[in-house]
Amino acid sequence: MATITIDHLVSWLEAFRGKVADQASYLTELDSAIGDADHGTNMARGMTAVMGKLSDKPEAVDAYGKTVGMTLVSSVGGTSGPLYGTFFLRLGAAAGAVAELEAGEFAAALRAGFEGLLARGKAEPGDKTMVDAMGPALDALDAALADGADLAHAAASARDAAAAGRDATEPLVARKGRASYLGERSAGHIDPGAASTAMLFEALAEVLEGALGA
Amino acid sequence: MTSVGIVAVSHSAPLAKAALALAGEMVREGTGPRVLAAAGTADGGTGTDAAVIADAIAEADSGDGVVVLTDLGSAIMSAELALEFIDPELAARVRVVPAPFVEGLLAAVVRAAGGAALDEVAREASGALRPKIEQLGGDAAAATASAPAAGDVAGATGPSTGGAGPAPSADAVASATVRNVAGLHARPAAVIAGAVASFDAEVTLAREDSPQRAPVSAASPIGIATLAAAPGVSVLIAATGTQATEAVEHVRALIEEGFGEELVGEASATPTSDAAAPAPRTTDPTPTGPIGVSAGRVVGPAVVLRRTVREPSADERVPDDARDGAVSLVREASIRVTEQYRERASAVEGQRRTVIEATADMAGDATLVGGVEALIRGEGLTPTRAVWQTAAELVEQYRAAGGLIAERATDLIDVRNRLIAALRGDEPPGVPARREPFILVADDLAPADTVTLDPAVCLALVTEQGGPTSHTAIIARELGLPAVVGYADARSIRDGDLLLVDGDSGEVVVRPDQAAQATATGVITLPPFEGPGQTRNGHRVLLGANVGAPRDVARAVERGAEGVGLFRTEFCFLDRETEPSLDEQVAAYREVFDGFPGQRVVVRTLDAGSDKPLPFLTNDDEPNPALGVRGLRTARRHPEVLDRQLAAIARAAEGSRAEVWVMAPMVATAEEARDFVARARAAGLTTVGVMIETPAAGLTAVEVMREVDFVSLGTNDLAQYTMAADRQAGDLADLANPWQPALLRIIGLIGEASRETGGTPVGVCGEAAADPELACVLVGLGVTSLSMAARAITRVGGRLADVDLDACRRAADAALAAADPTEAKAAARAALG
Repeated sequence: MATITIDHLVSWLEAFRGKVADQASYLTELDSAIGDADHGTNMARGMTAVMGKLSDKPEAVDAYGKTVGMTLVSSVGGTSGPLYGTFFLRLGAAAGAVAELEAGEFAAALRAGFEGLLARGKAEPGDKTMVDAMGPALDALDAALADGADLAHAAASARDAAAAGRDATEPLVARKGRASYLGERSAGHIDPGAASTAMLFEALAEVLEGALGA
Repeated sequence: MTSVGIVAVSHSAPLAKAALALAGEMVREGTGPRVLAAAGTADGGTGTDAAVIADAIAEADSGDGVVVLTDLGSAIMSAELALEFIDPELAARVRVVPAPFVEGLLAAVVRAAGGAALDEVAREASGALRPKIEQLGGDAAAATASAPAAGDVAGATGPSTGGAGPAPSADAVASATVRNVAGLHARPAAVIAGAVASFDAEVTLAREDSPQRAPVSAASPIGIATLAAAPGVSVLIAATGTQATEAVEHVRALIEEGFGEELVGEASATPTSDAAAPAPRTTDPTPTGPIGVSAGRVVGPAVVLRRTVREPSADERVPDDARDGAVSLVREASIRVTEQYRERASAVEGQRRTVIEATADMAGDATLVGGVEALIRGEGLTPTRAVWQTAAELVEQYRAAGGLIAERATDLIDVRNRLIAALRGDEPPGVPARREPFILVADDLAPADTVTLDPAVCLALVTEQGGPTSHTAIIARELGLPAVVGYADARSIRDGDLLLVDGDSGEVVVRPDQAAQATATGVITLPPFEGPGQTRNGHRVLLGANVGAPRDVARAVERGAEGVGLFRTEFCFLDRETEPSLDEQVAAYREVFDGFPGQRVVVRTLDAGSDKPLPFLTNDDEPNPALGVRGLRTARRHPEVLDRQLAAIARAAEGSRAEVWVMAPMVATAEEARDFVARARAAGLTTVGVMIETPAAGLTAVEVMREVDFVSLGTNDLAQYTMAADRQAGDLADLANPWQPALLRIIGLIGEASRETGGTPVGVCGEAAADPELACVLVGLGVTSLSMAARAITRVGGRLADVDLDACRRAADAALAAADPTEAKAAARAALG
């Protein structure tokens, strides 16, 4: 049974960093429509800082979560800092001082991170936030694992669900964050947070597909 | 001396630095508190960093705690996150306050420099927007006519009151906990406002749990209502003036005594900061689906209530020199509309009068009129536009308050419309005059709308908004009109559309087909019934009417009812603060008895509780009212109310030619039946029975029947309790269906018990009796009399006269054996032929 190791987790974020860096201008463009036009640069800066810290490889998942979370909190700047930061802090805390995770444990850790993010942002599904991508992604991951899929396939389902959730934010009217000041005018634009979240799950699917075999 | 630290969290380091410098100017050099900024990212960019905030908090704390102010977005989240990074002991003495950044920082610095304690600094910072709101207007300004001036907030010398905002300059202060179940809704608000008017004092009220909210004037019922103070909420009363102490004490006593309304039980009286209303049925002003709130199923053409008020132009301006005149126009209109309401109030009785009187007070309310005047003088708005805007702001506050207060938003809109109509010289909007029967469709109804409603012409009410406790519901029940509230598609209905409305199930069908129209039980389409009620082979089944008030008598007689199978006595009690007197009850019952000389009238004693709460008899805060103290069970705590009612029924029966039977609702055991029979006989009543509405009474029907002279099945409740499905819940309508085999089997047991006990009469007085086919099944199961809405008698009597008793029995057997309601109905229909 394949497990997730620290190396996988680090590769995941390296892949995520690559995506947000490559598409920083896309994310910023989304954000300029309904926010303060900094999501792409903020995330790229934050993830670059994270990968700098991770060059000193943590030994356990809790240390990994803490390093990633604290770095994001301190380097992203915008609202995604405390949100992604909380996600990784909780993920690490839920996983504990272990060097690898089984599929179910990893799913539970992701879920714990998501719960932390929900509590921090107080957003609900349909508020046009990253919740709208991450919620469906984790639901799909859990469902696939429950159906007996392996982690690589489950991550692929999560990626697809996150992408669908991201696209579904387009018609929504924002109710949280700076976009909510725009009211009805926020409709018609994809939420940048949901877009970067979809990248997070793209990165996860890619890394697990390569590592565990699809 | 305490020394509270302050941390300012901002996206921008320059912004934080400038704000700190500004705040520093407010205090003498060297005397200020420890103030730190946590702003910007490490690389000098825009953003926040929770770790930096955590460090700043630790540095700012000298043991007395830290107040954290934030600007927006991630600043708030990062500040909250920072609390997770610091020592929990320190976190416990940190307050992240919902304060405006600059104003809050100034207020906090000033207060902290004065040595104020942590929570006081937090409170001052949170309330720091108040002076600006007062200066610049807006809804809060209207609601805070006598709130303290700006200087009180900035001034650090006022005595600490330990309470909410208004106190520094007050001559007297006290706090009181709201204890009445409904909270400070319109009536208590009016009582308080009326009381403070008699003192030489300016009195304000504030919620102690939300110090950031400005206090409201106690002379303004609307302002008080915007506090949304539910039971358990602690209210700070403050006053200035020569009689401040007396006024404060008086208001405190009023609130603590609960205005003579139902008080919450001890258990739920514990203070809570939650503004949620106490009873589940009052919490939701916008129900999720249509709700039937007043029984009856009718068909008729729609008449859509016109809200004829056009939105006044926002662009017109009144020149400076004409504004005084504009203000006096508003004052005159306010007086005129108040008088209109009072006239309408004097034309009606009971609950309707009280609510219209409360609305009259709204039309002259100082918050409303003051807000209008401020908009005219300050912005030069036209009087109509100023009324429109002020009302819109208040309506928003009402709706935000939720619960009972939100349901009063409609009253406020009615006031607005009438004020605007008065200012324009138009006729006030309202119910259109019609001579032909119609179903009134509206967004929502205000009391004044329904005053002119003639229940002889109006068949039913359908509203888009409103909950089970809205005026529409109250008034519909009082007038006995079927009503559905919360029907989201009400706006799509056009004048003249034929509607089928079921005030039980909440069903509304637009342009129903013939088959659907035929299901209406409450519309006159057939000639009156000519008795006697019997099957084709002459098996006698008494067909009576259900009567809910004296005004139903004429209809029952006209429709050919063979007496009354269910006389509901709640009409005499509902919407009353106190129990009606013996004489009053005797007169009311006599009026019904006199309609049926020589015929049977089965009186049901008071069925209060559950969906029919009474302030002097029932608890509103039961977690599960349908399973709580209702019906006969209220006599456990208040036997005297039942005994007086039985005495009144006996006395009314004495002088009447009706054959008066009496029965108790909501009986579960033979022992309860025995006790009731003993009380009724002691009162001098001869024929005494009980309702069978609980499965328990049905399963022990033999034992129950040995105690009584007759039983009557309330099939609505019996279905609800058998199926454990709330009959009000639209989603569960299939379960509460009276054709459910489980329900029919219990009724079958009761029929057997009747035979076993030598033919105890068994009546049915629920909706099931009004379904012609089901009525036949009931007869087949052993039911000996049926009572229903008067308009259903012809159809039921006609169907019964078409079939033999044997066919009824076969239909009953077939229905009992069925798997579900649909099959039961089909099988019964086939057997009846």
